[in-house]
This record gives sequence, structure tokens and C-alpha cells, in this order.
Amino acid sequence: MRKIRCWNAIARAVLLEALRRKDLWVIAILGFIMILGASALGFFGVAGLEVFVKDLSVTVLGLFSTIVAVLTSVRLLPDEIRNRTLYPLLARPISRFDLLFGKFLGAVFASWIGFLSLSFLTAIALLIFHVQFEWVMVQYLVAKMMGLVVICAVTLALSTFMTPQAGATMSFVLAFGSSMMIRGLVMASDSASAPMKGMFQVVNAMLPQYSIFDMGSRAANIGWSAAPLWVMGALLGYMVVYSGAMLVLSWSKFRKQAI
Amino acid sequence: MMRKIMVATILLAAISVGYAVRNLGEVVNPPYVPAGLDAQETYASMSLLGQFKTSASAWLWLHADLYLHNGVEMREMTDAEKRSGVSTEDAADDGKAKLMDEETVLTTVPSKDRDFRGIFGDIERETSAYKDMHHHHHNDPKLALPLFRLMTWIDPDFVPGWVQGAAIIARDRTNEAAYKALEYLKDGRHQDPFSVSIVNEVGQLYITRLHNLPKAAEYLEQARIMGRHRDWVLDDTENNALLQCYRWLTLCYRDMNEPAKLREVATEGLHRYHGDPVLTHLLFPRPGPVVERLSH
Repeated sequence: MRKIRCWNAIARAVLLEALRRKDLWVIAILGFIMILGASALGFFGVAGLEVFVKDLSVTVLGLFSTIVAVLTSVRLLPDEIRNRTLYPLLARPISRFDLLFGKFLGAVFASWIGFLSLSFLTAIALLIFHVQFEWVMVQYLVAKMMGLVVICAVTLALSTFMTPQAGATMSFVLAFGSSMMIRGLVMASDSASAPMKGMFQVVNAMLPQYSIFDMGSRAANIGWSAAPLWVMGALLGYMVVYSGAMLVLSWSKFRKQAI
Repeated sequence: MMRKIMVATILLAAISVGYAVRNLGEVVNPPYVPAGLDAQETYASMSLLGQFKTSASAWLWLHADLYLHNGVEMREMTDAEKRSGVSTEDAADDGKAKLMDEETVLTTVPSKDRDFRGIFGDIERETSAYKDMHHHHHNDPKLALPLFRLMTWIDPDFVPGWVQGAAIIARDRTNEAAYKALEYLKDGRHQDPFSVSIVNEVGQLYITRLHNLPKAAEYLEQARIMGRHRDWVLDDTENNALLQCYRWLTLCYRDMNEPAKLREVATEGLHRYHGDPVLTHLLFPRPGPVVERLSH
């Protein structure tokens, strides 16, 4: 119980810091402006444009929520170390793991808040366009939130091994490029030898599978049903396992780090 | 003082020369569509704004194709896939518009038999817009019509945007829809006055929708002349439109009972497109299947 209170306090501090920096507000306003811009495209004929607006909305949501998740997570530990605010924190009866986990939770909540506020604004824009509600949209939100957890964990792990700038760059490369890399592996596998295919399996397992959390293409287009429950369970399982592995990696580095 | 006046005069002269040759850019570096690319390049090499316009219209063109497939992303096969005999996911002949050649396409998310990823692949097929696309059908192209309007607004030199957009408007098969399509193409002709594809499309609309052969012949003749005189700038799309133009024009003259003109056009067409079966058949009619008459 004490541990939970401790994680809660650290996470709240991360959230307050994110609000103080006004990152979330800037991104929410930018996203809303972009979506309103899309609504103005009604000039080109409203019928049929709903799909385009939904598509643009999920693209904006995916892009900005990823940026929030990466930028929030990447500076958590390096900033504490650089500003020397880590010393008073560690002087309290908390372990380095508690600190790391609390920070991670804070980053996740900040990303979720950014994502959900942007989603709320998007929902208003979609209502203006008379876009009908579908259950797959809720699934899209839930899956995306799970995906953000993985992004935060990966970025936090990278930030313990590299400078914040390098960590952010690597994290963006993985966030926006991992699906392309995986697609490349799949395309190359047809003509690959058996040992090479084995290598592809290993690389694929190591890369974060962000694309499986993105249900945007189903939510934006017409007539796609919600994914079965086992899929959501599998996503949850993957999120827990992969994020856990990243946290263990971060902790193994951070616990030995001289500060 | 004299020096300032001289500098001002030189500056004024430079600006005047620049203004006088402002249209030279299009002559030296005309907008074009590189052969073999489905996404076009019309402006990108000319300016930064041009790059934006080209990127935006190319993005919309690709998205229009995506909407026709209801979000299922398709990609061209690699050479290795072609060699290994992977079965194509070509569309069924549903009479709806294709924006790309689909005889060698696959879904970007691979089917289970082509995917080494096991459960990751299974999950992705459930979370993304994926379905087996063998002999697939397309969504009604009207869904993508606003995108065509938008892409031609952003990049007026993008000829396929005008042609496909008009074809989609005319799908209603009413005279009203045909006139709307002609209005749309009129805007296109205003922007791209030398496009064979656009004028050819106007001619085709007059034949297939309004059954007005003399008017169609008038436009197809314009397209033929433009094709003849602008041989050096015709890319694959325009070249194909010119072939269609020769075929339609020959058919027009056949149905208008003008054999001399038929021979002239068909001969010229065959001179350019050696051995084209339609033109050959129209120039040297033989017993066998007859090319359907346009008035039917």
C-alpha cells in the first residue's frame, strides 16, 4: 500500500510538470486546428468526406499522442539528474525502482490525458460532420492507449542508455519506422533462406510491434467490425510483457548508475 | 545620386525581365508525370510550394485508392514475389474505377500463408483493415470524389485527377451527371489546355453518355491534333489517351458514314501505334466479330 502511495505521488508530480510545461495544451490546440481545417474541406463536397475526416483525425491523434508520449517520457530521468532534484527524491525511503516505476506511470497518464483530450476534441469535430458512432472507435481508443504504454516504456528505457536527444530520436524512429521495418522483413522473407528467416523472427520479436495497437484504419473506414475479445486480451498481454521487459532493462541500468 | 539611379534602373530592368519571362519555367521545366509511377510528380522539381502541392495531391491520390479498397492497403509485388509465383490480389471486374494497375498487387498486411510472424501477424490482421482481396470489389468511387476535387484544386496540372474525377461524376449515367462531368473537365481544360487525356475524355463523354457523335468527333479531332503536335511531351498516360482517341475517332467516322476520314485517322493511328488490333480491324474489316456500333 505504501508502494502504491509512493508511485502515485511520483506520477502526480510528473503530470503536474507536464501541465506546467503546457505541452498538452499546445498539442490539443494544434490538433483541434488541424481537424477544424479538415472540416473546412466540406467546400469540396460533404458527401464522402466523412471517411477522409475520420482518416485525418486518427492520423492526427496517432501522431500527436506519440509525440506527447515520447517527449514526456524521454526527459523524466535525465532532467531529474541534470537539475539535481533526484537527490532529495532518493533521500526519501523509496527505491530506485519505485522512482522509475512512478515516473513511468506519470508519463503514461500524461500521454493518456493528452490523447483523451485530443480524442474529445476530435469527437466534437466528427459530430459537426455527422459521423456516426461505431464500437470499433472505442476499441481504437483502448488499443491506442495500450500502445502508448509501450511507447512510454521503450522511450524510458532508451533515455537511461542515451542522452535525451538521442533517446527521443531513436524512439521516434521506432514509433514511426518499426512498422516499415517489419513490413520489410515480411517482404524479404519470401526469398530468404531458412537461417535468415530465423534471424527475421528474432529481429521481429525484438522490435516493438506498435502497428498492432493501431486500429485507425478500421475506425476510419466503413463497415469494419470490432476486433474479437481474444485480440484485445493479446494486446493487453503484449503490453504488459513488453513494457515489463523495457522497465526491467531501464531498472538494470538505472540501479547501477552513478549519480 | 547618379549611382543610386543606376542601381534602381538596373533593379527595375531585372524585375521587368523576370516578369516578362515568368512563364518560361513551364517551358523549360514543364509539369510532367514520370512514366511508371502511380503517384504523380507535376510540380516537385520547380519550387518548394510545388513540392508541397505535388506531395499533397499524390497523398490524396493514394488515399483515394485506399478508400476504394475500404482502407485495405495494397502494394506492388516485389520482383522476388513475382518470380516465386505469389498469387495476385487483383480486383474482380465489378465495373468500378481502378486507380492503379492491380494485376500485380498484394495487401500490405500479408495473408497468413505469407507471414512468418505467427501470432503477431494474426493480431495485426484483426486490428488493421485487412481482408482477403483475391478478386476483390471496390467501394463506390463517389466516396473519393471530394478527394479528386481537392487534389485538382491543389495541383491543377494533375491530369489523372481531372479524368478520373469526371469519370466518377459521370457514373450516374444521367444526362445531368454527364453535363456535370463536362463542366468539371472544362475546368480541367482551362488549367491544362494541352492535355490529350482531358479532351479525349470530353469526346468519350459525348459518345458514351450523350450519343452526340459530331460533337465528340470535334473534340477528338482536337485531341488528335494536340497529340500530333506535342509528341515530345507525351508521357505514358497521355500516349495511351492518344491511342484511345484514334480508336474512338475512327469508330465515330465509321458510324457517321465518313469512310475517307475513317481511313485517314486509322492510317495515321496505325502509323503511330503499329499493329493496334482495333484500328487494324476498322481499317481492314474482315469477317468475324464486329466492333459494336457506337449508337447502340
